[in-house]
Amino acid sequence: MKKELKIIQKERTNPLAHVFDDFISFCQSKSLFMLHYCTGCGAIELPPAMTSRFDMERLGIQPMVTPRQADILLITGYVSIKTLKRVILTYEQMQSPKYVIGICSCTVNGGMYWQSYATAKKLNEYMPVDVYIAGCMPRPEAVMEGLQRLKDNIRNDKKEHKGSAWKDYFNRYDYYLGNQQALFGDDWQTPTDIIAEAKLYDLETEETYGKHTKLLEKHQTPLLPQEMRIK
Amino acid sequence: MRPENYQAVKLGQSNEYEIFIGPNHPGIEGNYAFRLMLDGDIVVSGKADAGYLHRGFEKLMEGRLWIQNLAIVPRICVPDPAPMEVAYSMAVEEIMGIEAPIRAQWIRTMQLELSRVAAHLFTFGGHAATTGMYTPMFWGVADRDLVLDLFEDFTGGRVYSIYNIPGGVRRELPPEFLQKLSNLLDYLESRQNDYDNLLFTNQVFVDRAKGCGALTQEQALELSVTGPNLRACGLAYDVRRDDPYLVYDELEFDIPIQTAGDAYARILVRRDELFQSIRILRQIIERLPSIKGKIRTPIPNPLSWNVRKGEAYARVESSKGELAYYVVSDGGDKPYRVHVRGPSSMHAVQTLEFLAKGARLEDVAQIMFSLDACPPEVDR
Amino acid sequence: MNKVPIDEILNKVNGIKITHKRKTRIRVDVDADSLPTLLELIKGRASYIHLSAITCVDWIADNQFELVYHVWSYEEKCLISAHTRIDRGSESNPAKYVSVYDLFKPADFFERDIFEMYGVTFIGSPRMEKFILTEWNGVPPMLKDFDAEAYVQETFKWTDYNPDWLQELTDQGGGIAVKPEDIRTAGNTHNMSTHRERDKAKAAAVKANEKMQGWKQ
Repeated sequence: MKKELKIIQKERTNPLAHVFDDFISFCQSKSLFMLHYCTGCGAIELPPAMTSRFDMERLGIQPMVTPRQADILLITGYVSIKTLKRVILTYEQMQSPKYVIGICSCTVNGGMYWQSYATAKKLNEYMPVDVYIAGCMPRPEAVMEGLQRLKDNIRNDKKEHKGSAWKDYFNRYDYYLGNQQALFGDDWQTPTDIIAEAKLYDLETEETYGKHTKLLEKHQTPLLPQEMRIK
Repeated sequence: MRPENYQAVKLGQSNEYEIFIGPNHPGIEGNYAFRLMLDGDIVVSGKADAGYLHRGFEKLMEGRLWIQNLAIVPRICVPDPAPMEVAYSMAVEEIMGIEAPIRAQWIRTMQLELSRVAAHLFTFGGHAATTGMYTPMFWGVADRDLVLDLFEDFTGGRVYSIYNIPGGVRRELPPEFLQKLSNLLDYLESRQNDYDNLLFTNQVFVDRAKGCGALTQEQALELSVTGPNLRACGLAYDVRRDDPYLVYDELEFDIPIQTAGDAYARILVRRDELFQSIRILRQIIERLPSIKGKIRTPIPNPLSWNVRKGEAYARVESSKGELAYYVVSDGGDKPYRVHVRGPSSMHAVQTLEFLAKGARLEDVAQIMFSLDACPPEVDR
Repeated sequence: MNKVPIDEILNKVNGIKITHKRKTRIRVDVDADSLPTLLELIKGRASYIHLSAITCVDWIADNQFELVYHVWSYEEKCLISAHTRIDRGSESNPAKYVSVYDLFKPADFFERDIFEMYGVTFIGSPRMEKFILTEWNGVPPMLKDFDAEAYVQETFKWTDYNPDWLQELTDQGGGIAVKPEDIRTAGNTHNMSTHRERDKAKAAAVKANEKMQGWKQ
């Protein structure tokens, strides 16, 4: 099954392939679903941006409740370590192509919480980020501007290769995994098998593997049903 | 995904099962999680799971100058940031033994009430959305934005204004600001009928909200519930009147109460409070021009400012309930200890766990939004 | 029922020190042994039923924790802050105190918070477990001897920010006048271990420079 897919991706015999590609990227840029996940204080500017005053929907962007169906992961502000784990799980669950937007200065370099023991500083160490919107907090206009930029990137991806940051996660999985392990401990693992997905999408490179993925293999255990009890 | 990574979950003898709500869930206010044990769709027990928004505020504040902390205090509660600044400034003033000039106090009161209006409008939308009504959300957010425009006009910031400093406020009001405020209040009052028809007397909403998450007064007092949630249980307690700060003892306002203690009573209390806030703002518009004077008591160079030894417990009434700052100074240029008592830390943990018990699954979101819980206040 | 003045009730507790700070604030200092008695007394006899907060302050110089119980009365309209000090304990023998959960239910939240942030165990509190810091493995972070800044410097990678536009400005004689790290390590404070020490040294340096505008109290 995997082999067949590889062949399909590699051999592009259709003379109209680039027309289809163009059409697909046009369609992708016009219909984006944004995951409804408020990770930090920047989320307070999303309701104005989504509702009648600034109206994100006219750009073709709507909130979506499940990660599986969402295209955009908005990281609205600082991510604490506890949130970052969930954010990575969420990000890995999303279907490609997927885009990450870091809103607020805290996602860029820690912002005003640079000396806090509880927050992660740079988001792009843990997952590839498409667009950063700086500001504390950015106004809805700035959010719209950033989303517009993302749309342009997706539309012109074939020319400029700006809209495919998500591929970097598969290409350089070892780097991202290393940063995650440094923060969460050596036994960090997620239920999603990124290496298998990288093979599936034909995106594996030399940097996909490394000492961190070896460490992951060593610690990886089958997911057991968790026993949970509420006291 | 490797199939060998998955195993079927073996169910025990019990019919109960556990589900997670949040942190990524539209029925959760902010970044918060809730673990529920269910039997059918009845909640057997629930457990709050906080900490997703933890930044270690109290630790951060110990490492920053007194004046630097003003920039981070509003971040403790995002929908209603003004009371945070005011409470912190009041606590520092109390330790210093200074008092803000009377004009600054009036301006602060105005800021607090405007912030309350914005926060309540936001809550109406959120609460209505949990019952499947999205129009009030659109209206509430749009009307709140008009308030934010005024904030931008007189403080420079849309959401976080950082307008207060110990000793007063930062800037004088811009010209014709009070006229703009008055126009906004006229507009908000003209919307009263629309909101009543759409939300507060809408039979669909009333049926969903009545009887949902009901608290008796004894239970509320036992759980330290404050603010509109306590007033919905029939106790007319308001920090603004019972422990007056700023100029609230010179203003006339009622404390709206309801007796049912359920989600519907809570939102009605907020609705009435919104109009009481408008009433307060009208009095401020009337009296503020006649109050002349400085807006700031001079403080020493803030970069080498050693606040004298002492401690203070400053309480204000935020839109969520009783908000308090306990500030300790050891005579240094930084606070020795700051403790934030967010009202939601009482509502979102124990009260929510208590109310969820026996509720139906679809009501849990409504109960949370009707308590107006604000997760960053829990996590800090 | 005749109203008993609050002072009369408070004075029944041994070794109590009462300070009336203002009309709605009373500060009370008691021994750690008699604090639960005091809380029970003011709850039962004087309607102080609303536990507003429990605060822990780490007085590392005295090797003590200060616990402050803020209790409000809806009828008297007054807030009593009951201060008490307990031994700070050590890593092998953490500080312990008795829970007031049976008097005030909200104590559950505050005591759990103090347990996480300071490591004080409250005996009798129903949920002495991690709540906010479930993913945290270090020492309780609010302790004064935990240096958050040093931890951040160790844990997270920092890279210098040198964009091209800044380089151009620097060439023209502009740019960053004082680098943040220079401010952070101002003076001969490199060897000092805790940020408190560094801060004191820095403050002393600032004071010396600004004797003229020093704040006279």
